[in-house]
This record gives sequence, structure tokens and C-alpha cells, in this order.
Amino acid sequence: MSKREIPEINAGSMADIAFLLLIFFLVTTTMDRDQAYVRNIPKKIEQVTDPVEVEERNNLAVKANSRNQLMVRNEIIQNPDEISEKVVEFYRKNEKKNDPTNNYPMYSRVSMQTINDNIARIEAEVEDLESQPDVAPEIIDFKYNQLGEWEKKKRSLQLYGGRELPEIHFQANIRIEVQIATDYELFAKIQTEIEEAIFELRDDESKRIFGESYATIKARYAQDQENVDKDKLDLLDILYPARIIEVTPKK
Amino acid sequence: MSKFKKDSGKSVPGVNTSSLPDIVFMLLFFFMVATTSKEVDPTVEVEQPEGTKTTDLTPFKQRSEIDFLYLGEPRNPARAADFKLGYALSLDNVVQATADELYTTNAVGQWKQDKFEEKKARITVPIEAVITCIKADKGAPTGLIFDIRKELQEINALTIAYAVRDKGNI
Repeated sequence: MSKREIPEINAGSMADIAFLLLIFFLVTTTMDRDQAYVRNIPKKIEQVTDPVEVEERNNLAVKANSRNQLMVRNEIIQNPDEISEKVVEFYRKNEKKNDPTNNYPMYSRVSMQTINDNIARIEAEVEDLESQPDVAPEIIDFKYNQLGEWEKKKRSLQLYGGRELPEIHFQANIRIEVQIATDYELFAKIQTEIEEAIFELRDDESKRIFGESYATIKARYAQDQENVDKDKLDLLDILYPARIIEVTPKK
Repeated sequence: MSKFKKDSGKSVPGVNTSSLPDIVFMLLFFFMVATTSKEVDPTVEVEQPEGTKTTDLTPFKQRSEIDFLYLGEPRNPARAADFKLGYALSLDNVVQATADELYTTNAVGQWKQDKFEEKKARITVPIEAVITCIKADKGAPTGLIFDIRKELQEINALTIAYAVRDKGNI
């Protein structure tokens, strides 16, 4: 008997199967990504204390009413695109030189001497606290946090290069005050404008100091999580902190 | 004797399609890699506003450190009157708003807590860091968003995200 050949499998319908799968994936998946502004809600406090007095110059209040009209720093604004310019102005006005006559937040300049003094002081305090028998662990944690902050500043100043680290007033903040009936579109627009302004400020500084854009550093840090990039981002965060307060509407 | 043969009655050979499956598979793999699975269609109508310089939530989604909730007009306009300010909240595809307050924004805390308990073993972050992403319609009143925020604050879920459609870096 002669050798019998195995018949070839007909692969003609393979393409059909693949097409079927392809179409299934085309239908059930989506290309667009979820994009959003991530914010933190303040922790709930049990005891409400009197609010701290904040100087008017440290406030940048963006208000929107139920008719979707805008007001920035008590000035009515027609075009919401102007908000980002106002935010940039808020940070830039006194950045190079403090001028007490204008109504913008002051900058303090922190020298390496001050930073080292503070680190030494807090380290001494921690040692003192740890030697005592009954100290609440929260207090020690708080001190360690403080120490971490100052060490972050030290690294930042080393990266910054100059003699002093310019720092905006610690109370400087951006407040978003809306009303219940304000459209979400306008609320999102305000968020966009603030985000844009802070991005612009950080990007300019990043290009000046590191010669690369803020977006590049951020993307690389998200990818590799390297300490070099973290320090760079920390520095930009200290120079232009995004302190955004969203006020719960009452009416 | 002629130099050229006459192709007498010979038909054109068929195109070889044996590599067609390969091509289609290639396309298939591209789409499998480049796209993400669609969430269930929300039961409320949501048209997101536009924005720029946003954060991409895909990494959080992959680690399932995020929960989505929708705020929009109910698909059936006749029911709009049942909801506070005419906007309904959709938690996991159930329109959670009836007049009796049981399913209004007060339910958000419970929903979030349940979601967290469910995936506690799989994720490493505490509830404070699990993002709650609010996908709200353009016209939704911001007051409702603050209602949701308040509920989340109660249960200490402190990270929130306002979803927008990114119009790119123009």
C-alpha cells in the first residue's frame, strides 16, 4: 500500500474567525482615556476651631454665582480664560522683589543657614522627646514630618542653585467659591485655568533650571520613580505650591 | 514562428489569501493592546466638559484604585422631577435617586465603603487614597458635587477626581 498523505487542514475560515474577534474587541473597548483633576478633600475635624485670620493679599478668590458669572479678586470677569493670567500674576507679582504697597502675597527667602539651623533644632527636640518616658507618639511623628519638610527644602535649595530659596507666603491660597446652581462646566473650567497657570509657572522654571519641560520630568517620574526626578518635582512644588481650597456652597 | 505565446484561455491565478489571517490577527493584537475595556454605559446622560492639563487615570484604573460615579440627567426626562435639581446619580449603573432620600447622595458613603471592603485584599493603599472619580454632566449643579464630597469626607475617602474630556495640549 502506498503512503497515504495527511490531508491539509483548510485554513480558509481562519480569517473569518480573526475578523470576528477583531470586531468584538473594536466594539467592547474604547480608545479614550479617563482624564480628570485629582484633588484632596480635607480631613473631617471633630472640633471646629475659629478660622485663622488670612490677610487679604494672600487670597485669590475665584467666585462663580448661580448665573455662571465670574469674579476674581473682587473684579468681575467676562471671559473665563482670563483666570489663568490672574493666577500667574498672583504668583509672579512679588516673586523677584517684595513690594509691600501692592496687594499680592509676599515671598520669603530661605537661606541654607536657616535650613541647617532648623534641622539641628528639630533634631535636638526629637532627641529630647524620645528620652522622655511618656510622650505621645503623634508628637514625635509630627516632629519627624517637620524634619522631613526641612530636609526636602535643603535638597531643593541645592538643586535650585542660588543662595536663597524663594518661598511664597505659607497662607497664599487659591479659593474656589461657587454656588449650588453653578454649572459643573464652569467649575471644571476654573479647575482647568488654575491647573494651566500652575503648569505654566512650573514649566518656565523647570526649563530655566533643568533645561527640560515640566511635563517631561513628570512623565519620567511616573515611569521610573527615580529620586532625582522626585527632588526636581519637589523643588517646583515648593516654588509654586498649588494650595487650592474648594469652599462648600451654602446657597 | 512567433516569439510571444498566446495565452489561450488561461485564467488569471487567484490571489493568495493565506496571509490574510496573519494580517487580521496583527490588527486584533494592536487593538487589544491599545484600548481599554469600556465600562458599562451609565444609566444617566453625561456629556463631559472639556479641560486641559489633566491627570491620566489609567494607571489607577489598572490597579483598581478608583471608583467611578456618574452625575447626569436621567435618560427618561419624565423622571427628572424625582431627583434633586433634576440630576440623578448613577452608582454601578443603578440610578440612585428617589424622592425618599434612601438612594440620594447619602448612599455614596455606603457605596464607597462597600467597594473598598470588596477589594481590600487586592490593593495596598488605604481608603484615603482610593480615588472617587465623579463624571458629571456639563450642566450639573456644582452643589451636588459638594454633597458627594461631604459624604466621602464622612467615611474618610479623601481623594477625589473631577472628570473632564481632555482636548489635548494645544
